[in-house]
Parts: sequence; structure tokens; C-alpha cells
Amino acid sequence: MPSDSLADLPLVFGFLTVVQQPSVGLVGGYLLLNAQGRPLEFHCTAAVRANRTQEILYGPTLEPYLYGEQIGRTLFQVSKLQPVAIFTDRPAALSAAEHSAAPVWLVLNEAQAPEAEGSPGSATSVDSTASAAAMLRVDAAQTSPAPMHALRCGEHRLACRPADAARGMEDRLEAVVAGFDLAEPFERIRAAIDESQRGAR
Amino acid sequence: MSASQAGFSWQATAATPPTVWSRWFQTLEPEAELPTAAAQPISTRDRYGLRPLNEARIDTAAEASPPLGITSWAPQSLRVTTSSYEFAGSASAVQAVTPSADVPEVAPAPTPSHPRKHSRYTRLKPADETIKLADRLQVLLEPPLELLLENQSLDFPARPFPFQMDGVAFLYPRHAAMLADEMGLGKTMQAITAIRLLLRTSAARSVLLICPKPLVSNWKREFQNWAGELPILVIEGNQTRRRWQWRQPNAPIKIANYEPLRRDADIITDPALRFDLVVLDESQRIKNRSGATSTIARSIPRERSWALTGTPVENSADDLVGIFDFLAPGHLHASMTPQRMGRLAGDYVLRRTKAQVLIDLPPKLTRDADIELTAEQREAYRLAEEKGVLRLTELGDALTIQHVFELVLRLKQICNFDPATGASAKLERLTADLEELTASGQKALIFSQWVETLGVLKKRLHRFHPLEFHGGVPSHKRDDVLNEFRDDPKRRVLLMSYGAGSVGLNLQFASYVFLFDRWWNPAVEDQAINRAHRIGASGPVTITRFLTLRTIEERIDQVLRDKRELFEQIFAGAASPRTRLSQDEIFGLFRLKCPAGPIAPMPAPTSTMADMPLLPAQ
Repeated sequence: MPSDSLADLPLVFGFLTVVQQPSVGLVGGYLLLNAQGRPLEFHCTAAVRANRTQEILYGPTLEPYLYGEQIGRTLFQVSKLQPVAIFTDRPAALSAAEHSAAPVWLVLNEAQAPEAEGSPGSATSVDSTASAAAMLRVDAAQTSPAPMHALRCGEHRLACRPADAARGMEDRLEAVVAGFDLAEPFERIRAAIDESQRGAR
Repeated sequence: MSASQAGFSWQATAATPPTVWSRWFQTLEPEAELPTAAAQPISTRDRYGLRPLNEARIDTAAEASPPLGITSWAPQSLRVTTSSYEFAGSASAVQAVTPSADVPEVAPAPTPSHPRKHSRYTRLKPADETIKLADRLQVLLEPPLELLLENQSLDFPARPFPFQMDGVAFLYPRHAAMLADEMGLGKTMQAITAIRLLLRTSAARSVLLICPKPLVSNWKREFQNWAGELPILVIEGNQTRRRWQWRQPNAPIKIANYEPLRRDADIITDPALRFDLVVLDESQRIKNRSGATSTIARSIPRERSWALTGTPVENSADDLVGIFDFLAPGHLHASMTPQRMGRLAGDYVLRRTKAQVLIDLPPKLTRDADIELTAEQREAYRLAEEKGVLRLTELGDALTIQHVFELVLRLKQICNFDPATGASAKLERLTADLEELTASGQKALIFSQWVETLGVLKKRLHRFHPLEFHGGVPSHKRDDVLNEFRDDPKRRVLLMSYGAGSVGLNLQFASYVFLFDRWWNPAVEDQAINRAHRIGASGPVTITRFLTLRTIEERIDQVLRDKRELFEQIFAGAASPRTRLSQDEIFGLFRLKCPAGPIAPMPAPTSTMADMPLLPAQ
């Protein structure tokens, strides 16, 4: 999405995660928050489970397919508000970026965080041979995976696909998410999914 | 389930019998959650690099004689079913937050500007009574309390204890709740913070707090301390004034005592006057279900009902039923066994004791009890002050600090008791507190600077079997007094003078200290407090400092506070000095200036009145 139009949008942030529910399958949750971190919309999927055929045929691309194309895209479609950025804690969900007008950023935890060399707010490319980059590799069919684009944003470590990095949001991201503990909303989504599943049972 | 239902369209050639493939797919069917998907054309290469085995789609009907023995496959979009929830309450905050016209003074929440990390998050949880999934999700999806407070820019004069955050998180989402913490754990602060959040998040716009009359000023002060931006309206005065006050729409928080509740029953039970939240402090006041107060409290139109009490059960389980008739009518019945009652009440009640939540040795909880003088005391005080100031003024250059000091002492005595009638607002409050703490088996020390005051207290508090310990008690009897206080469970109260009881005693078995009147020097007060609050204490110690409003006590306290605050502003993080009143400040208490020329000799060794008891108890 061009940065010009982002300036006109209200500050709405999207948080996407996928939970593996034992013996049930994958459940996706998508939470839209306002600038104060309060919930605006919440969407979750029914449990989705790949069958053996899908596992064989999709191979290493199964997770990106389910997380991004199936779960992420569906959740984006049913939401009403347009976020300025979407964050996920699941590397495989980065593939959902192709179905979103907003860039999708991976929030890295300590173990995942690559050693970004730039100053805060600056972007660095991550070597695809690095272990962190291997974790972020979303397209195993490619013989030479594209390097992820990493970003240090205040206390946060973020990564996105190169195509998303070109959307022009990056230079404003730090200011936009300054008020957020970006890892925290995923806990809310997981709690809400648990509650929904309990209700379903 | 067919293969197409699994998100695939497939074709089998004649060389591969369809029945075999069908069986193969059936054994690998996905779970029922995978919904049916419409067939889609096969592309030459899907986006994950999987090339289909056939470039063109082969219709089932046209498969009779395929040219080649191939199997075609293509991914299809699954129709993933979703559940969606929207939260209108937060929508207004997408743009700039604008306060409601009904709550004009509540400042909008600015967009936060600093990244935050917390070592501990206090999550909100829905009450068991919340049935609808959407309502439960709304609570679960709210930010943790720490972020919610920060995002609303809600500052605190002191960092709340974690258990107090838990208490706020307990109250905030609940429509019916009882906070029953042991006395001294900060029920007031927790309730105020939860109310503040409700107002700031527009979950409530009109709150009524009802408390015993002696606590009204204390609540008002606590609101100013913990939520200074919230306007408070105290319901008081004659009937005309009260009727006008009740109907003020722009007062988000109204505070009333239990007496107007009865007098203004027709107004506050009017459905047109609906409150978003009604809080009953010392809610044991409504334990008698047939009483007028209880009946009216239950009749107040409201959305949420909270009860605050340190003694939810004073005499019998019926007490709890009475309070629950206000919180959740019909939820408890007097015929229930205590065990069943406890189970049913469980999710509505949060009770913590000091021993449970204050693990490290022992926190010292200090609270200021702001007292409004009784009418008799107020009149006596007014006359004494007017005459006293007039006399001081007439003295002219002959005025000495001794003259001022005498007036100060005279006024302080009136703050304790009206000399003509014996009326005492402090005693009313003290009695209420003693009832509560003695009911839970606790012991208390009460300090005064005058033996006479201690004597009066001994008579007026006789039902608590008080003991005395002051300069008038012979030395050889003092140990016996202390031993009796420690060992006799009936002896719950020890009346002490600052002089005799401030040093050298170990009274760790007392959990409460009351400073009935204040010493000139905080250091002496600290020493008195430390009789109970010391290593070996069985639990946290609660100190209650009585302070009568709009009196000399308040003025002295304010001077000391200002000096401490100034010191802390300049030397952040350093301990406050042992502040004492200077000579100029003593004169300033009555807006008098030090007369020119030499000052009359002070009875104390320095030019302060730090340790200058003219009428000491010792």
C-alpha cells in the first residue's frame, strides 16, 4: 500500500496468529486494535486440518499455504477495518501479505531476532544462510530463498518479505507502533481462541 | 467427504481405476471442519511451484477416453468458516478520543508515545456470570491492565502492589462484585482505579458511591489522590440542595452517605435516575435485608453493583446473603449450607488477607483518615480560633511563640473532643475501625499526646477492653500491662502516649496503629509506629493517621507535606528529612508574622517546636 494513503488511515493495527489445537487442527485468529491497544474487531476461523494428501503434495509449503493463503486471506476478507500494518508471530503467516493491502510484519522473539546491524529504525537484509533466515524461509520450492528484510523498530525486531519492505511503510513504522508491546496482543488472541473453542465444545 | 470437498479436484485415468483412488482419498479425508470448495480451473503452475500433471482441466463427464494416462490435481481455495466480533466501545477511540458531553472534565486519552515492557501483565478475565461468548471475548481481548492504564495515561501517586492490580482487574469487568480484602489492603484505591478505568473507557458515565458518613471526606480525598482528574460531587446539605445534586448530569461520580439514602429514597429509586455503577462501601451496612437502607440500596436503578467490605460475614452467613441481595438478587439463600454458599459466591468475591498478599516482612501501609468535625466540635473550634487569634493580634509586639503554641494545643484538643458535649468525629471513625479489626482477631495500638485523651478513650472504648500505657502508669506495672495485652485475647486495644510508647517496646503482635492525634515531629510518630512494625511482626502493619479537615491539624500536616514534597522534588529518590515546623511556620498557621525584634525564648533547645510537648502525656 502506498504510504500516502496510509497517512489518511486511522491507526488500526492487525495481529494475526495461528494456533495448533491438539486433535482439532489449526485455528487462526485476527485481532484489530486501535491506537490505545483496545479491540475493534476479532475474527477467528473454525479448525482447519490438512489431510494426508495435502501434506504430501504441499510438502514444506503446506504451512505457508494454510497459514497465509487459507487462514490469513479468509480473515482479512471478513474484517471491516483496514489496518495500517499487520503483525504476526508465525513466520509461515507472512505469505498472507499477498492478500493484504497492508504490509505484514513478523514480530521476532528473542530466539528469532537476527542481529540487525543498523541503527533503530534502519533496515538490514538478513543473509539467507543464517539460521534465523532459514526459519523465515517461506518458499521451500525456491532453490535460493529470497532474503528476509529485517528491521529494528525501537525495542522490537521485525521482519518482512522484501516485497512488503518496498511498500513505503518502513520509515514510519517506529513512530506508528511506538506505543505497542507488539508481542502482547498474540496472547490475547490465543486466550480468545481458547475461549471460543471451549464455547464450541 | 469427496475429494473436492477436501479442496481438490482430481481426475483419474482409466489406467488407474477411480474406485481405487476414491478409496485412497477417503482414507485421507480431512476433518469435517474443512468445508466444501467450489471447483476452480487448473492453472499451469500454482504459486508454490507445484505444476499440475495436466495443463487443461478435464471434466468428469469427458473422461471416458482420455488421451493419456494422467492424473490431474489443482489446489482450490477452502471456504474457511469464521466467527467475527466487533467491539463498538473501542471504535470511538480509533480517531481522536473525545470525552462525552456528560463527562466533560474527564480528559481524553492521548496516544501513547513510549514503548513499554512490563515484567508482569495483569490480564482481565470475564466473570463466570458472563454468558455470551461475545461479551467474554470482549473482556479477554482487552489489553492487560498495565497497558490499559498506561494507554489512558492514568498516573498513580504510588506504584500499586501487584495484588492491588489483581483487585482492579477483578472489579473492572464485573457487573456484580464484592471486594472483601482485609482492612488496610487498599480497597479504596482499587475501587477508585476500577471506577476511573470504567469512566475513561466510557464503560460508565454515572457512578454512585455510598459510604458511612465519617468516610465521605476520606473518599473524597482518596479520589483526589488517585484520580485527581475526576470531578466528585458529594451529596449533602438540605433537601432542596440534595435534590438538585442528585439530578446533576455532569457529575460522573456522586458520593453519598447512608443517611440521605433514606431521606432521598424517592429520587434515587426513580428509574429516570439510573446509575451505571453503584458502589457500597462498608457494605455490611445492608446485611439486614429487611432494613430500610438495604431495601433502598437494592432499589437503586443501576447496571453494575459493587460492594466493599472487610467483614463480609460479621455474625452469620445471612450477612452475606443480605449483601448479595444487592449484588445478585436471588443468587444466595439463607437456607444454603455455608459450603454451598461459598461455592456460589466464589466468583463474585475477592478477598485477600495481608498474610496472603504481603509476603515480605511486613509492609507498612499508611492511610490518612480525613475526618470532618461534628457540628458541636466545629462550633467550639470556630469560637476558640476566633477568640484566640484576636487575642494573639492584640498582643502585638508582646506576642511570643508560646502564645501561639498554647492556641494550637487548645485547638488540637477540640479536634479530639468537643469540650462541652464530648462529641468526637475521630472517635466515631475509630470505633468503626476497631469493630472491624477486632472482629477478625487483630490488635491495635492507639496513640495520643495527652493522658486526658487516653482516659476519655478508655471509657468510650470500654467494650474493647482497652489497656493503658503512659507516664501515669507506675513503672513496675508496665510490663504486666504489656504482657496482658499480648496474651489476653480479650485485650485488643492498647492506649499509649507518644512519650511512653514510642521507644523500646516490641509490640509486633499488634497489626494496627492509630495516631488519634498527631505529634509535631514525624520521627516521633515513626518511632511509635515501629513498636508494631518491626522485625518479627506477624504480618503487615496498618497505620491510620487521623486528621480533621479545615483545622489546625490539617494546616500543620500541609506544611509538613509541602516540605517533604519539595525535598523529594529536589533530591529525587532520597529519603525525606525529619521535617519540623520552624518558628515562622508556626506563626503562619494563623497568618501571623513573627514580630520584629527579638523573639521570646523557646522552651525547646532549638528554634523549632519539634519536640516541645507543653502538655505531654508522660
